[in-house]
Amino acid sequence: MSTTEVPGGVRRYSLRRRLLLRMSGALLILLLLIGVGVWIYARKAADYAYDQLLEGSSLSILGQVYARDGKVLVDLPYAALNMLSQAPDDRVFYQVLGPSGKHLTGYKDLPLPTRYKPSAKAHFFDRPYSGETVRFVLQSRHLTEQGVDGWVTVEVGQTRIARRAMTYRLLFSALGMLTVVILCGLAFVGIGINRALAPLTTISRELRQRSPTDFQPFQADAPMEITPLVDTLNAFIRRLHGNLDAMQVFIADAAHQIRTPLATLQAHLDMASRSREPEEWQERIDRAQDRGRHLIRLTNQLLSHAMVNHRGESQTLAPLDLGELLKRTVVETVRDRAHTKIEFAYHNRLDEAWIDGDALSLKEAFRNLLDNAIKYGPDNNLVTVELRQGHSADQIDVRIEDQGPGIEPGLRERSLKRFERLQPQVSGSGLGLAIVEAVAVIHDAQLTLADGHEGGLAVILSFRRRS
Amino acid sequence: MSPLIKTVLATVFLVAVTLPAEAITTLVVKSATDTAAIQPVIEDFETLNPGIHVDYHELESNDLDRQFHQAYANHTSTADIIISPAMDLQTRLVNDGYAQTYQSRYTASLPAWAKWRNQAFGFTFEPVVMAYSKAAFRGHTLPLTHAALARQLREHPDFYRGKVGTYDVRASGLGYLFATQDAVQSSTSARLLESLGRSDVKTYCCTSDVLNRLDKGTLVLGYNLLGSYALAQAEKDPRIGIIVPQDYTLVMSRVAFISARAKHVNAARRFIDFLLSPAGQHVIANSSALIAIRPDIQAPMSASSIRKRYDSSFQPIPLGPGLLVYLDQMKRAHYLEEWESMILPLGPVHTKEGRPGVVQK
Repeated sequence: MSTTEVPGGVRRYSLRRRLLLRMSGALLILLLLIGVGVWIYARKAADYAYDQLLEGSSLSILGQVYARDGKVLVDLPYAALNMLSQAPDDRVFYQVLGPSGKHLTGYKDLPLPTRYKPSAKAHFFDRPYSGETVRFVLQSRHLTEQGVDGWVTVEVGQTRIARRAMTYRLLFSALGMLTVVILCGLAFVGIGINRALAPLTTISRELRQRSPTDFQPFQADAPMEITPLVDTLNAFIRRLHGNLDAMQVFIADAAHQIRTPLATLQAHLDMASRSREPEEWQERIDRAQDRGRHLIRLTNQLLSHAMVNHRGESQTLAPLDLGELLKRTVVETVRDRAHTKIEFAYHNRLDEAWIDGDALSLKEAFRNLLDNAIKYGPDNNLVTVELRQGHSADQIDVRIEDQGPGIEPGLRERSLKRFERLQPQVSGSGLGLAIVEAVAVIHDAQLTLADGHEGGLAVILSFRRRS
Repeated sequence: MSPLIKTVLATVFLVAVTLPAEAITTLVVKSATDTAAIQPVIEDFETLNPGIHVDYHELESNDLDRQFHQAYANHTSTADIIISPAMDLQTRLVNDGYAQTYQSRYTASLPAWAKWRNQAFGFTFEPVVMAYSKAAFRGHTLPLTHAALARQLREHPDFYRGKVGTYDVRASGLGYLFATQDAVQSSTSARLLESLGRSDVKTYCCTSDVLNRLDKGTLVLGYNLLGSYALAQAEKDPRIGIIVPQDYTLVMSRVAFISARAKHVNAARRFIDFLLSPAGQHVIANSSALIAIRPDIQAPMSASSIRKRYDSSFQPIPLGPGLLVYLDQMKRAHYLEEWESMILPLGPVHTKEGRPGVVQK
């Protein structure tokens, strides 16, 4: 009813229709409950009104009962029955009973309650008579005059047509009024829903009308309930904007960084093919080879940087053991350098080192740090990798130290920037530390460049321990 | 009869003849109304409804009431429609559940006082009047109000003694209704009754008896007579004059109802509709001895022309439970006792034999 099947199997429903339907249902039940209450009340009210009339009639008859020569006589007053024509379509029955219940006048076969104690107080009851339900009143008067001593009882009955009509009149007017109130209520609910949903409509219209390059946050004066949605939307726009920026930067970087080495490569190859001297060939080919390696490394680093940035945007951190990851990376690096004189030391000073992290990015960062340590260090380099407790209990430090020349404190900041190369003679992409920094940002980790114990560079990554 | 109506009647007749399969329904009407007075209405109804034959029985109102009660109790009731001018007796029958409900656009057009529970329908407008011998009253002041009559009875006892006629309330249900309604309507009715008694009033069973004696000169004035008959008689007989009392004039309506055990309900409904329809009311006003109740009927014998012709305060007797009061056994006994004590001491009562019943339920 309030949901519609849309292609793709997603069930969609209208908030407005659902709210209205549920409100209508609830109000209908309320109407029924009140209706029953009103009906009971209306019945009582009608009985009360017409009982007064009946009692008036029985009283006026009682007033005309008198005794003469030991006999009880009744002079039925005209008004006694005429007043009952206030209920214009109702039939009327009456009788007068003398002391000891002797029938004096009126209808002889009127029903009487099984137990009735004569009293001046009116006693009302409903009983079927002459094919209809009839409302009766019984009322008595003690007569002590002219040789008579006893209770005289008057019984007056009237069919229930006017009472029924009055009950329904009261009931229907009350229900009519209630229905109007409920319809007004539903109308207000409808208007309220529309008003409440209006900011959503505004936002969606604004989104639709936006130009593809507009990344301004929404300034909609949304109500409190919608603010989280607007905030989320703005955060999303910001991220989308960031992603797009990163992509554009990547494209620009790639274009700029790759174009020159490619041109140089092409130039070496051209010159080699034009030269007639074999020595020059060898030299050109060596250089072309060198450029080719550089290009491969640059491309790898560019993609790696883009990958790390992308993973950072998509926020895919999961629990992982830093020690395990670090060890695996070191082992792989050691395996690759088995033929060199470089030595590696790995110290894990922690029992466990769980953090929330992205294994792929972390591995990339560690590999870059290890590569850097090897690249900028001497041939008999000692690369020390240490996993240890940080300054505070919830910090884990990864420290990688080499025996290279280090970086002067004044240049350390620059070294973190992309394509900043402090030693142009060493072949590098200028992206290594930038990637590490990006990974540090993703993990909310602190990246510190410091002096090593042996004069080399020590890179420290401080991670927050998983709580 | 216009040629058109003739053609219509001929067609109806032809249809009736060519469709012999249509059995004739016999509608039994028991009524306290002179057959002669209502005959034109019945004839017209039969002409318009060829499939219905009306079996009309005339009874005196008290007898009608008693007979219907008995027949009903013995499950031998054959009456489909009961008609009586005794509004009180008719009201009691309806109150006791002997009538059935019927509603149509014709019943809806009745004035409120002439209808009760959509079961009892008053179809005539009959004022209660005085009639007098014009010859006797030559040079004599006419009593134009109830009070004037009471005064004249006291002031001119010789003129009136033994020469005033009215209903014997013990014998006539209608007379009882008129007398008791006088008591309801006027605080001086007892004094008028006493004056009538002192003047040695003569009592009769019916309006026609009084009118006949006015004609013959036995009586000079008739009191509480049925206006429809009296006016019709006065039309024919210039020696009779009519007084419509100016202080108040009771108006009686002849009441018809369909018996709860009617065997021919459809025919009965058509009869009720005809009585109340403009066509039926036209016949009542123009051809019958009765007076039409529908205010839209313009004829000498219709409610509107009566109201226009006579300057009086017309007091219709309303149908309803109030009419049950004087039917109460004790009330009736008490009233009759009082009536007899005022009317009887001064002379013998001229009435039909038979003690009029105290009608027991």
